[in-house]
Amino acid sequence: MSRMKLAFLLSAAVLSLAAPTNAQERGGTITVATIGEPPTLDPMTSTADLVGIITQHMFETLYTFDANWAATPLLAAELPEISDDGLVYTIRLREGVTFHDGTDMRADDAVASLERWMKIATRGKQTAERIASVEAADDLTVRITLTEPFAPLVSLLSLNNSAAIILPSEIAGEAEIKEPIGTGPYRMKERRPDQYIDLVRFEDYSSREGEPDGYGGARMQYADEIVFTPVPDPNTRVEGAVAGQYHYIDSIPVESYQRIADGRTEPVMLAPFGWPVFVMNTKEGINADIKVRKAIQAALAPHDMLLAAFGTEEFFKADGAMYPDGYVWHTEAGTEPYKPNGDTEGAKALLAESGYDGSPLRILTSRQYEFHYTMAQVAAEYLKAAGFDVKLDVVEWATLTQRRTDPALWDIYITHSPFLPEPSLTGIMSDSSPGWWVSDTKHKVLQAFNSESDPQKRAELWADVQKAIYDEVPAYKVGNFNAVAAQAPSLKGMHPAPWPYFWNAWLEE
Amino acid sequence: MVREVFNRLIGMLTVMILVMTIVFVIVRVTPGDPAAVMLGPEATAQDVKALRERLGLEGPLIVQFGSYLLGIVKGDLGQSIFLGQSVGTALLQRAEPTFFLTIFSLLIAMVIALPVGIASAYWRGSLFDQTMTTLAMLAASVPSFWLGLLLIQFFAVNMGWFPASGYGGPDTTLMERLQHLVLPAVTLGVVSSALIMRFTRASMLDVLNDDYVRTARSKGMTEWRVVLKHALKNALIPILTVIGLTAALLISGAIVTETVFGLPGVGNLIVSAVLRRDYPVIQGSLLVVAGLYVLVNFLIDMLYLLVDPRVRY
Repeated sequence: MSRMKLAFLLSAAVLSLAAPTNAQERGGTITVATIGEPPTLDPMTSTADLVGIITQHMFETLYTFDANWAATPLLAAELPEISDDGLVYTIRLREGVTFHDGTDMRADDAVASLERWMKIATRGKQTAERIASVEAADDLTVRITLTEPFAPLVSLLSLNNSAAIILPSEIAGEAEIKEPIGTGPYRMKERRPDQYIDLVRFEDYSSREGEPDGYGGARMQYADEIVFTPVPDPNTRVEGAVAGQYHYIDSIPVESYQRIADGRTEPVMLAPFGWPVFVMNTKEGINADIKVRKAIQAALAPHDMLLAAFGTEEFFKADGAMYPDGYVWHTEAGTEPYKPNGDTEGAKALLAESGYDGSPLRILTSRQYEFHYTMAQVAAEYLKAAGFDVKLDVVEWATLTQRRTDPALWDIYITHSPFLPEPSLTGIMSDSSPGWWVSDTKHKVLQAFNSESDPQKRAELWADVQKAIYDEVPAYKVGNFNAVAAQAPSLKGMHPAPWPYFWNAWLEE
Repeated sequence: MVREVFNRLIGMLTVMILVMTIVFVIVRVTPGDPAAVMLGPEATAQDVKALRERLGLEGPLIVQFGSYLLGIVKGDLGQSIFLGQSVGTALLQRAEPTFFLTIFSLLIAMVIALPVGIASAYWRGSLFDQTMTTLAMLAASVPSFWLGLLLIQFFAVNMGWFPASGYGGPDTTLMERLQHLVLPAVTLGVVSSALIMRFTRASMLDVLNDDYVRTARSKGMTEWRVVLKHALKNALIPILTVIGLTAALLISGAIVTETVFGLPGVGNLIVSAVLRRDYPVIQGSLLVVAGLYVLVNFLIDMLYLLVDPRVRY
């Protein structure tokens, strides 16, 4: 073999070894089957996950979350400069960021957007109570002044639902977004409601430098287009996945895991994804009595409830800690009352102590999420065994979302949540959230937690909040559950995430 | 004839006014709130109230009804709360899949049902008749969602001949979109054919022993001429009725089939509007569907007049 030939073969071998790092291909259309048509394309007005999943490709926030769920800058140049007293946040914006309409992003746009967020977004309105002013310090600097230290601010500015997205100031001045003009890596090409939402690469997108890092870091825009197709029927999504009709299929029933594995796409498990929760009405009715809530806490057998709902232990874990192992917020503090197999005798004693008069315990639930209903059925049996008279109020989701706002109509309602990166974003932390948990202890521990800016100390203070939740039972966390999606073998660069994103994904034929 | 048509038109108008009123009232007394759906799971009662005000849902019902009626008179069905488009546009966008699905499934149903129904009646009691009657009962008993999933499993998943769901993405041609309709059309066609076949058979049995059929035979006409020209023509009225009603039902949206196949048709629009409490879409689409239903019935009645001049209303 000649030296030239040997050199050529060696070069080829080296190149082929290096190939995987250069394998990302530009082009193609990623097709995504979603659980339905989003109720709105304005992520400020909605806390629905589906809205966040789609709109995060078009709109961006000042901050986002990295792979470890720490806040990281997105439209901001770096993390904010916080004054020593924790009251003034100075946020420098990145230069050269343009909106989809071609205009440059300036501090005025960010100020107008944050004002809109404080006016119409659920999380924004809660934050507004602590904000004294939002102003433009110069063309590319925003200054937020607080009335009291509030550590969750950056996390709130990072979330993609009820999101503090940055819009052009003239759009931010309107109550309704007529055209989705953001700074995101993809822009709207066409929307045909109930048929598809077609996003196309924004060619003037200004990505961050460096490597992708969770929702943060560089956004590569490999695909030309991303098409979100609503497929509301879970069985149809499963069949679409097995047939290989889409590149990514969101939210697959866990019992279909093996069927997906045998088909043309691969199942993707996000473990753990979230936690089902029984929210107690602490304002009115029998659950206004903390002793009754304690009796419920003792009566429930979360392992059986989860087993009925998710089939096998592969898909759930009976875990009382509000955050699972691996999260910085994980602690076992206060979780002693959580009994995986229930404590019927203990519950009977607590119920007798409460002077319960036999009034029906009204559990408001829906079959929109079948696991809610299944858990309610199992819970009802355990509660009856402890001496409760249980009434299951099964309605569809739209009715549930309305009824839960009226404290006269229910005692427990069932919902679920992903593990939010910032604990204070959890619904029960707000006094006005259905359930209406208000107490001196809550306010004391939450105030301490929210005022502390040192992450290490905050993690320690979270233990006190979790203990208060177990002591006062404003809600009952059933456990952790996993989410299943399906992904075509040709779709690369995806990382399991509660709100799947596709700007770093590519197609490999 | 003119008087008959006029009477029918007055009746139609009354039905439409009743539909408008009843739908408006039912939609508003049903629990559920579009604002709560739009705002998501963590919205507060204050947020919901503020959005309801912005959507014009907080005023007195009579005022809301008045403005709805005024819009109808102007030809405006309203603006969808969720879709970012008018109800008229939403309906027009969904008209294509529903229209073609109706046509194809009706064709499939008629191609199966008419010859089989006629032959079953002609060879009444034979093995063929018994087999076909049993098959028709089976087809009528099969839930369309089950048949749909079965077809998806075999033709989309196993064979890969047709898409499992949807109506194509951006830039798909009409032919590609129609490919998405094959499995739903077969599902609906098979299920609908059972009813048409049984009506055809029963109706033909009624006339095959009539005197004029015997007379036709005694005149030496060929059997197929006797059956198709003399018997079938007289058996047509009930068959037309059932075909017309089937067509009207299909136009109003084959709700279950459209849901199973994820077709963005009129049925799907109505279901998702009900689940989201999109009041203007529910009201507007039910009004249009009721209008079409009434219109098809009117056309069938007029067809009776042509087929049988003795018919009077």
